[in-house]
This record gives sequence, structure tokens and C-alpha cells, in this order.
Amino acid sequence: MNMTAVSVEEESQVGSSAQEVLSIKNLTKRYGSFTALDDLTLTLNAGQILGLIGPNGAGKTTTIKVLVGLIRPTSGSAKIAGVDCVKEAMQVKRLVGYMPDKFGAYDNMRVREYLDFFGAAFDMPRSERAKRVPEVMELTGTDYMKDRFVESLSHGMQQRVGLARTLLHDPKVLILDEPVNGLDPQARIEMRDLLLELARQGKTLLVTSHILPELARICQQVAILTNGKLRAYGTVEEIGHSVSQRRTLEVQLGNANHLAVAAKVIRKSVEPEAEVVESPTEATVRFRTAQSEQNLGKILRRLVKVGVFVTQFREVQTDLEEAFMSFTQKDSKSARQELDSDPEFETDGAVTDA
Amino acid sequence: MLSALLRRELVTPLRRRRMIVFQIALATLFGLLIAARWPSDGQVALMGARSEEIFHLFSFGLMATLLLLFPVFPATSIVSEKKSGTLGLLLNSPLGPWRIFFGKLIAVLALAGMILAMSFPAAGACYSMGGLSLDQDLGKVYLLFVLVALQYAAIGLLVSSYAQSADSAIRITYGIVLVTSVLTLGPHYFFQGTGGSMADLGETLRCMSPLAALASLSGVEDVGSQGLMTKTDVMGRFTVWSLICTVVASVWTMSRLNHKIFDQSRAAGTMSDDLSTSGRFIRRMFFLVDPQKRSKGIPSFMNPVMVKEFRCRRFGRLHWLLRLVAICAVLSLGLTYATTAGTFDWGVETIGGIMVLMQVALIVLIAPSLSAGLLSVEREHGGWQLLQTTPMSIGRIIRGKLFSAILPLMLVLCATMPGYLVMAYIEPGMALQVRRVLICLALTAVFSMLVSAAVGCFFRRTAAAIATAYAVLLSICCLPLLIWMGRDAPFGHDTVETALSFSSIAAAFSVIQMPGFEHYDLIPTNWWLMGVASLISLLVMPAWAYRISRPQ
Repeated sequence: MNMTAVSVEEESQVGSSAQEVLSIKNLTKRYGSFTALDDLTLTLNAGQILGLIGPNGAGKTTTIKVLVGLIRPTSGSAKIAGVDCVKEAMQVKRLVGYMPDKFGAYDNMRVREYLDFFGAAFDMPRSERAKRVPEVMELTGTDYMKDRFVESLSHGMQQRVGLARTLLHDPKVLILDEPVNGLDPQARIEMRDLLLELARQGKTLLVTSHILPELARICQQVAILTNGKLRAYGTVEEIGHSVSQRRTLEVQLGNANHLAVAAKVIRKSVEPEAEVVESPTEATVRFRTAQSEQNLGKILRRLVKVGVFVTQFREVQTDLEEAFMSFTQKDSKSARQELDSDPEFETDGAVTDA
Repeated sequence: MLSALLRRELVTPLRRRRMIVFQIALATLFGLLIAARWPSDGQVALMGARSEEIFHLFSFGLMATLLLLFPVFPATSIVSEKKSGTLGLLLNSPLGPWRIFFGKLIAVLALAGMILAMSFPAAGACYSMGGLSLDQDLGKVYLLFVLVALQYAAIGLLVSSYAQSADSAIRITYGIVLVTSVLTLGPHYFFQGTGGSMADLGETLRCMSPLAALASLSGVEDVGSQGLMTKTDVMGRFTVWSLICTVVASVWTMSRLNHKIFDQSRAAGTMSDDLSTSGRFIRRMFFLVDPQKRSKGIPSFMNPVMVKEFRCRRFGRLHWLLRLVAICAVLSLGLTYATTAGTFDWGVETIGGIMVLMQVALIVLIAPSLSAGLLSVEREHGGWQLLQTTPMSIGRIIRGKLFSAILPLMLVLCATMPGYLVMAYIEPGMALQVRRVLICLALTAVFSMLVSAAVGCFFRRTAAAIATAYAVLLSICCLPLLIWMGRDAPFGHDTVETALSFSSIAAAFSVIQMPGFEHYDLIPTNWWLMGVASLISLLVMPAWAYRISRPQ
């Protein structure tokens, strides 16, 4: 129905395969009484891109650090290509390309030297590095900056070099922490295309980002974490539907004079509590309803019957930002309710406000 | 506005817990220094000789504290603001350059004042013992400390305005402190009493050293004065010199506090390989190893971390080291030749002393900058996390890092080898002495590197790691020399010998029979102490690296 939804679907088809590459089961990480990650379970197939989103302190980086062996979980397991991330951490390092949110620049080192060093750190022979370094530089569009010093690069350039570094040893899984953070729009589009290209090549990607529209455009799977708990997991569409059973529909009119009639017909056809919003400037009527496809067809037929000039009748997708806000607000509401019900906090208005 | 700046510069650091600990430690140290020599008898000499002895020792201790601890504050003051981006905000405010500068200067001077204030109870105790004049002794000595603080604060701020990182600012500032306070004494030591322009130059240079000024105020002999006293007004000359330094450095720094401090283009990454033939030829002439030449990949048999360390250190790039080694080699050969040809009437011991001094100064200056930040630089810039995600073991990473530090130091050691060989050739009887000196120097290099690495690994910030490593290393090497200065009174031969056993510099001097050190037998005690301390330090660094890289 929606053109945007179709293009997402098309883009989402890249490199899909049934082989499970990433498997997280009941992963929990506690620091004393604080639970950073609570019983997380996720799977990801080869060639897919998983977007891990959540507010600050949600547990995204903790999840990533467990996967790359920097943190040991309190309980649960995480496997990459069947290799246990905790017990066989050394093997996992060869399977994973990790790009942290901090670049990790070395002073006075040129881009080519920098990549050569990390290649050598992964025990790649010099002859292999001589081939592989130019390859990844070409793939990530960093070949023109090969002689520049890494610390003198702009943030966007450093992000690209960081990605080149993660690709050096040809890992199966790429784990990228905020790869588009701080990039200008053009660099962001280029980075998005690059990630899609890597998925086409069969790489499996786990990406965190705060820029949700970017994730919505590239990820087959999205997981929403808040307070260490997995709140939603699935495709962007599935998550959108799970936010609300009601759908948002929009009727585009060819004549703005028909706006009042159209709104009247729609109000009569949908639930009494349904919100119907008219937009005279755009000549649209937008409404949220739980009606079936068949009933929606009937509404359209009625509109046409009373002489309303309908040019489009479409569903407006619940976008990722909306879903994200819904989950995080729900979470903060429940946290507030917990505080309110706590007798210690009941009388203290200041704490409740905080 | 100035008061806001002062509050931020001064009150914020004073709130830190480590500052409180530092102040208490300082006051305790000075108190102990006095208590150790406090009269235990019921009778005290009316002449106040004992009080003077203690005061001299105390004033040299305070000077050493000031020189070792204070420079780090001005050195990091501007550059750390530049790095964190707050300097841009300050320059964008209505505060002018002079107010920013004086805000910082007054704040660092207040910190120096705090160090001096911690010594007041001890100074008061000295005064109460009698024999000291308030204005002639105490007043003048404290005036000297104020001048020293002023001079190094202004110089530190100037260095900080040019430096690209806090650790390089610390390195350069400590280098300047070492050169102006210790190395300026060298020429006078060797040329005193000879007459002529070299002796005059030595005398002039000596007056730039606060240590010489303090010695003249205290009435004690200069370090290595060889029994000769001069009539020069050292304190007067030092006052003029330090005030000139302060004014010049201050004006210079203020002229830097504007757009110029940020007006730098990013390095273009020019490569010699892409230059014209003439350009390549010129670079070939000036660089034995051209740092701008496209390097080949890291050989598979080499430790990649070691190569990385060489490449990412500006000073570690081989061309600098080769220049340094070449200068040392030429100097050592030149000195030996000059003595052989009869140009100077110096003994082999004196030549050996110069070479030992030159090498030890280089080692002490280079070792902390090479090895103190080995771990902290990775942690500060996020490299440690990246290294952990590679299959390299901690042992391999640490080995690479230590080798990258020890190799340049060994190269520096080899620099004066030709001079020692010629020395042994001139006097074959000295072969054993030369061998022992070389062992002392090698141990000094290893010890300096390992202690700096061990001290530095406890810090997250490179600047703090390097500053602390310098302070620790200079304390170990130089504080025993402070005891040596009081070798006739108040300390006896045994006390001085025990103290000197901890200093590798003193050990090398005693082996080469340098005047003033020939009566002390420091070998092999010093070798044992250095060896054990090095071994402990060697264990500390990997242990700490394992600790910080263990999954939490």
C-alpha cells in the first residue's frame, strides 16, 4: 500500500539466508544489584542486519561487549557462528569485526599504516595485507586518504577508516556501535549504502544507532531495549503493529471542498472514539481505526458513492521512531508508577518529579 | 570574571581528594626532615650551626619538590583546555588574552604557594632552633622559591600554548627544567678556575640555575665546586635572569592566546615518494631515515605492537634517534680527542664524568616519555579496547611495547660507546672501570624504563602517567644526591653511602671515580637494588594489563 514500505521491503531482501549466525539466549548481566541486561534472547541469520535500539543506558553496549568478549555475562549464553563468545573468546575475535563508538586513533600514524597494523594484529601475512588493505580502502572509499594521519581525519572519515579496520580480517559478523553518529547527511547515506552492500556480500551486521530512520531503512530485524530488557523484536512492520492494533489511514482528496463530507462519512463508518483529523492545507483526512480490510474497502466505496474525489487511500506506517517512543514512554511510565506506589516516595513530590 | 577563572583553575583542583593527600604528605615529609635532625640533647650550640645545616637540607629538599612537582600544573594548563575545547569558549568570551593568562598564572602560582605554605611549619621549626635570620636567611630563600615558581609557571604556560598534547607539554617543560637547573651547572664544573671565555660562559650559565642560586644563599659549595669559591653575585644574576624569562614568556604566551592557537591546518599527509626528484634528493640529504617515506607493511616475524609504537611516536621515529645518537657519538669522540690532544687539561675521570652525565640526563629525560604512557595512551584514546578485540595475547602486546621503549634507550647507550673505547685505549687500566660504567648505564636505562612503565600503568591519562613517572624517577635518581650534598654535615659517610646506593647516577659516578664520589663504594649494592626494583616493575606492568583486560 505504501511506497516507502515497499522500498524498505525491497531493500530488506538483500542477502537473506536461513543460516543462524548470531544466537543470544537468556543473556543477563548484573553489576551488584543493578541489572544492565535482563534475560535477552535474540537470533540473527546470515546476511541480515539487526538494529539494536534503546535509550542511553538501555544495555546496547553491554550486549555488544559480551559478544566481543569484553564483558562476561552473569548468566546465559551468546554464540557467533556456533562459537561460544565467553568460552572461546579468542576464536570469536576472528569471526567478529567490532567498531566501537570511540574510534581509537593513534598519533602520527597514517591510514595505510594504521590498517596494516591491525591486519598484522590479526596475524595476516604481509603479502596478504598488501592485497587486503587496498581492497578494504576501496570498498569503504578511504583509498584517497591512505597517506593522511588518522588523528587529523574528520569524524566521518574516521568512521570510514574504522569500518575498513573491522573488515580487514574478513569477519562473518560486523558489530557496529553507532556507525552513523555525527555524520553529515551525505556521509550517512554513503554509510547506509555501504552497510547494505556488506549485507549483500553475505556479512551479518549488528548495528546500534540513535538515528532511527536510518536503521528503519537498512535493518531486517530491530530489537528495542530499555532498562536492559528486550521490549520488542522483529521487523519494523511487526514492531509497528505490536505498538497498536489500530492502523493509521490517510485519504488524499482531489478537491479540498470535499473535506467536510469525507470526514463526516469516515466518522460514521469508524468506531465512535476513533480520532479523525482533517488537513485543509494538504486536502487529507487521517484516521486511526481497528477496522478490517473489508470494512476499509466499504468506507472507500461510500466516499466514492457520495461524490468525494479520492486520489489516494493509503495506510500510514507506524514508523520506528513512533514505536520506539511508545516503548520507552511505556517503560518510563511504569517506572514512575513503581516509584509512586513505593511508600517511601509517596510524600516526596520532588523525588516523583525527578 | 577573573575571579571566576581563578575559582575554576584553583578551587576545582583543590577539591580533589588526591590534592588533600598530596598536601598532607608534603607537610609530613618536611616535618620528618626536621624531626630527623632535631637536637636530642639538652644542649644546643649558640652559633646555630646545627639549625643552619638542617635549614640547608630542608631548603634543597623544598627546591627539589618545587622543581619535580610544580611544572606539571602550568604545562598542562592551556593544552588540556585546548584539547577539551574549553579554550575556544574562553577566547570567545569577553575575557581578553591578558586576563586569561593572568587567571591561569595566578592559579598555578597559588598552587606553588600552597606547596611553599606546607613547608612553613618546618621552616618555623628551623627558625625556632636559632641561628637563622628571618630576612637574610628565610626571607631570601623563600624569595628565590617565588622567583623559581614565577619563572617555570611562565615557561610552562608558554610551552602549553604550543604543545599539541598534555604529555608532550609535560615532557618539554621537564626537559627545560632539567636543562636550566642541572645541565647549566655542567660547564662551570669542568671549566672553573681555568680562566678565559669558556670559564666565563660556564659562570654565566651557572647563574641560570636555581640550584646554584640556592647554594650561594645557603653558603654551601656548588655541586662539584672542587673547593673553588667565586665572588659572583649568583642570586642577583638569577633574579635578573628569572624575571627576564618570566616577562618574555608571559608576553609571548599572551600573544598566542587568540585565533593563532587554533589556526592550524590538518596535516596534508605529504609523502616524499610523491615529491619531485629535487625534493626527494633534499629530503634524502637531511634524513637518514625519512619519516615521510611510504613505509612497507609490518614484517610478519616482527611484533606489530612494537612497530606501531615506533611509528606513532613522533620522537620514536628513527630519524630523531639517529640524530641524537650521532650528536652523542660526535660529542663523546670529540671530548676524548680533545683530552688526548692536550686541548683540555682534564683527566680521563672528568671525561668519563661528562659522558656519564650526558647519557644519564638523556636516559632520565627520554625513558619516562617513552615508557610511562605505554598503557595509559591506549586507554585514553580507546586503543586498548581495539587491541583486546584482536587475537593478540596480553603478553605479546606488553612485549612489543617494552621492546619499543628499550631499543631506543639501548641506541642512546651505544652512542657514547666510541668515546669509552677510546678512553679504554688511552688508559688500558680503565677497561674494567669502563665495563662497570657501561653496566651501570645499561641498568639505569632498564630500571628507568621499567619503573616509568610500572608507575605509568596505574593512570588512565597519559599526562598524569608521564608527570608521575618523571617525579618518581627523578626522586629516586636525584634525592640521594641531595643527601650527598650534606656529606660533611649533617650526614656522615655511611648515611651518604647508603643513600647513594639507591641512585644509579651516583653509582656510575663512583665507578668512573668522579671527584666527590670516589670515596663511596656503591657497587654491587646498587646493581642488586636496581635489579630487584626492575624485576618488580617488570611484573607490575603485565599484571596490571591482565587486570584491566580481564572481562568484567
